[in-house]
Amino acid sequence: MSGIRFDSVSVAYHGTTVLDALDLTVEPGEVMALLGPSGSGKTTALRAVAGFVTPAAGRILIGGRDVTGLPPYRRGIGMVVQQYALFPHLRVQDNVEFGLRARKEPKAEIPARAAEALEMTGMAGYARRYPRELSGGQQQRVAIARALAIRPQVLLLDEPLSALDAQLRSGMLAELARLHRELPDVSMLYVTHDQVEALTLADRIAVMDRARLQDCGTPQQLYRAPRTEFTASFVGQANLLPVTVADTAGAALFDGRTLTVDTGTAAPGTTATLCVRPHLLALGAGPDALHGPNALHGRLGEVQWRGATHRLYVDVAGHRVAADLPELRETPTPGTEVTLHFAPRDAVLLAAGAGA
Amino acid sequence: MSSTVTETAPAERAAGPAPARPLAARPAGSRTRWLWAAPPLAGLGLVFLYPLALVVRQSLTPDTGGPFAAYAEVFGSTAFREALWTTVWLAVAATAGCLVLGFVLALVIAFVPFPGARAVARFVDVFLSFPSFLITLALLFVYGTVGMANGMWTDLTGEPEGPFRFLATPWGVLLAEITYFTPFVMRPLLAAFSQLDTAQLEAASVLGARPGRIVRQVILPEALPALAAGGSLVLVLCLNEFGIVLFTGAKGVTTLPMLVYGKAILESDYPAACVAAVVNIAVSVGLFGLYRVVGKRAGA
Amino acid sequence: MLVHSKAGRWAAWSLFLFLFLPLFALPLLVVVAASFATHWSGALPSGPTGANYGAAVRGESLRALTTSLVTALVSSLLALTAGTWAALAAQALRKGARRVMDALFVLPVAVPSVVVGLAVLVAFSRPPLLLNGTATIVVLAHTVLVTAFAYQSVSAALVRLDPAYEQAAASLGARPGHVLWRVKIPLLLPSLNAAAGLCFALSMGELSATMMLYPPDWMPLPVRIFAATDRGSLFTGSALAVVLMATTLLVLAAFSRIRTRASYR
Repeated sequence: MSGIRFDSVSVAYHGTTVLDALDLTVEPGEVMALLGPSGSGKTTALRAVAGFVTPAAGRILIGGRDVTGLPPYRRGIGMVVQQYALFPHLRVQDNVEFGLRARKEPKAEIPARAAEALEMTGMAGYARRYPRELSGGQQQRVAIARALAIRPQVLLLDEPLSALDAQLRSGMLAELARLHRELPDVSMLYVTHDQVEALTLADRIAVMDRARLQDCGTPQQLYRAPRTEFTASFVGQANLLPVTVADTAGAALFDGRTLTVDTGTAAPGTTATLCVRPHLLALGAGPDALHGPNALHGRLGEVQWRGATHRLYVDVAGHRVAADLPELRETPTPGTEVTLHFAPRDAVLLAAGAGA
Repeated sequence: MSSTVTETAPAERAAGPAPARPLAARPAGSRTRWLWAAPPLAGLGLVFLYPLALVVRQSLTPDTGGPFAAYAEVFGSTAFREALWTTVWLAVAATAGCLVLGFVLALVIAFVPFPGARAVARFVDVFLSFPSFLITLALLFVYGTVGMANGMWTDLTGEPEGPFRFLATPWGVLLAEITYFTPFVMRPLLAAFSQLDTAQLEAASVLGARPGRIVRQVILPEALPALAAGGSLVLVLCLNEFGIVLFTGAKGVTTLPMLVYGKAILESDYPAACVAAVVNIAVSVGLFGLYRVVGKRAGA
Repeated sequence: MLVHSKAGRWAAWSLFLFLFLPLFALPLLVVVAASFATHWSGALPSGPTGANYGAAVRGESLRALTTSLVTALVSSLLALTAGTWAALAAQALRKGARRVMDALFVLPVAVPSVVVGLAVLVAFSRPPLLLNGTATIVVLAHTVLVTAFAYQSVSAALVRLDPAYEQAAASLGARPGHVLWRVKIPLLLPSLNAAAGLCFALSMGELSATMMLYPPDWMPLPVRIFAATDRGSLFTGSALAVVLMATTLLVLAAFSRIRTRASYR
């Protein structure tokens, strides 16, 4: 059982810091997703574990062993990349056996181990094919089988599904989740920019932006209680409103009105950001709505029909607030005054400017 | 990727002391890499650079006189000055001809496609794999004293001799060089044209641009790097061309490579041959360096 | 499509044919026609005969052909080995050092072949390496000339090679040597094959350097063609030229056939 540890790992290219003192631990058997926009440093972090980029500072440990100075071929990791990188001149069988031969495993064991890996990914019937004779999804399965054949303790996945179309992607996502259940000892580091993949697969998500780790936690923690504005808007969608903390009992002022939220340890008088998810807003009904709890009053800007839901954009004191409502029988007319409200437990207060 | 990075000491953490060591992600240090590069470099040095150095040395150590005696003698001779001039103007004229001709032909193949255009493009590739002197040989049958053109003339007019006499003059060499080297311009051009987005052409023609305008304003700018690269390569190859000139058998056309051959093999005057060689190298390598720079900038 | 009117298209095509046929197609046809003739005093050759070929594939000429074939095969093999090695070694170097290596290895393209011939002649006509008058000196000069092209094609292929393959192999535990033999070289094979074809064709047609240093008992075909035309046997020369072209094309076609079979994409 071995995990991965980033110990203040920094990477710079030509003087530009692309990874800034990353501290992160992937527990043995855990799936950690590195989630972030392009250029956030997530792929650099993965490539540092693989040994393809050299940290300018810091250490990388796999299973407690410092591998920072080791060449890639001595790290014993499995890696799957976006473009599969299957060797085009080798059959599927030989692709999967490649790592075993390279590592000089006993000759007698090699075919059985390759067969086992192909079996695990459902590609046993394709052993004699060449990569070019397979579809994208099948190629990705072979790439996973090839990485698993060497029985790595650590599996690195770099945007493994982004070359697949939407339907294949959800199928492969389920496959990866099944593999994770079947291989409970393998730690996985999964780089993606797709929050659905991260939320579905990961035990924990590390959110990265601008070369830095912004937030780290279980999917539920990040979604329900993001710590930074960046996390709030990158994991799921969020309405972010500037508020002033009124007291420690749970009152915050927005646009002159008092809202009831969990103010936690925020000091009265400080400014903070209120985060409310669009689907947790409800449309107020009747004249009393305006005076209900946690009401956001404004002019309806736009209504979008999205099948199962209606998306309303409401201009609340100069802020564009999005609300997702179950499909409405009667849609309000743009330009009319509407009121949205939310339950106190559905809102999160973020320290202003956190993580920015 | 550079491999050695000085370590800024990581903060000591619970995992135990970090051993002090230089960080090298790749085991192949720069010494190992140079070790791999050494054998081919040594080979090149032995069979190419060392011989070249000897040529330069020999040009400076003539049988009689001071170190630059051979240079003075060669530069003083009319034959050399004429050869230098002939070489340069032939190369420049041939390059210009190849550029114009190659551009027009590549334009038709790429943008006014006809059945067999691909076959023609293949033919151009095949053409490149033949030696240059074949062209002169062929021209001997087309424009030679007894040949197709003159034969046709005598058949038609009944005169004893035809009017085509230019083959043994520089013009014959020019024609042969343009013929042989045009494919060297066409190939990079065809490659560049295949990269050109046809949507650009369509957009231009939808906007009402006539073909001449499209060629000037859309195609030509895209083709310039390929033209520059192909043109400078042809210029160098023309400066160095030997087979075409040798086969015309014209005493009146002497280029620098011919001079080198003549001095060394026919007259056994090695110092003079070496001087001509050094001048030829200087001209060609200078221009080839320019070609590499232009090519790099053009991404060719 | 650039020209939309039918008339315009026909005009472009006629211009193309007007330029292309006399300049490129005619010369090759003329050489082939002449190789079957004994006289050419009118518009067309006369005196059809196969005797030129009879002479072209016997005795001295046959020896010249085998000389050319052996020279071309040996020198392209050597050039391919040296060029590939150098290109692989250069790729591992830092940018500045790689530039120097690039410049050194393509220098033989810029230096006139006649001068390469002269230089090799000057260098190897004296001790310690006395090669003057041997077949080796011809092969050596050809190797120098074509190595530059081998180096260039292999370098270009290396740049195009996706580093993901190497990295995948390394992550699977393959050492650099294993990566080279099992991944890089196999993936480069099509390019190596193409480079070999190029080197072979260049060496088959090499005349300039060869004229400077061929010994009497190692006379390649281009020199023989020149000798024939120089003494006025133009029709024999044509037959020899056709033999040279045909042999070159046959070998190139064989190379290309192997390449198609072995191509992975």
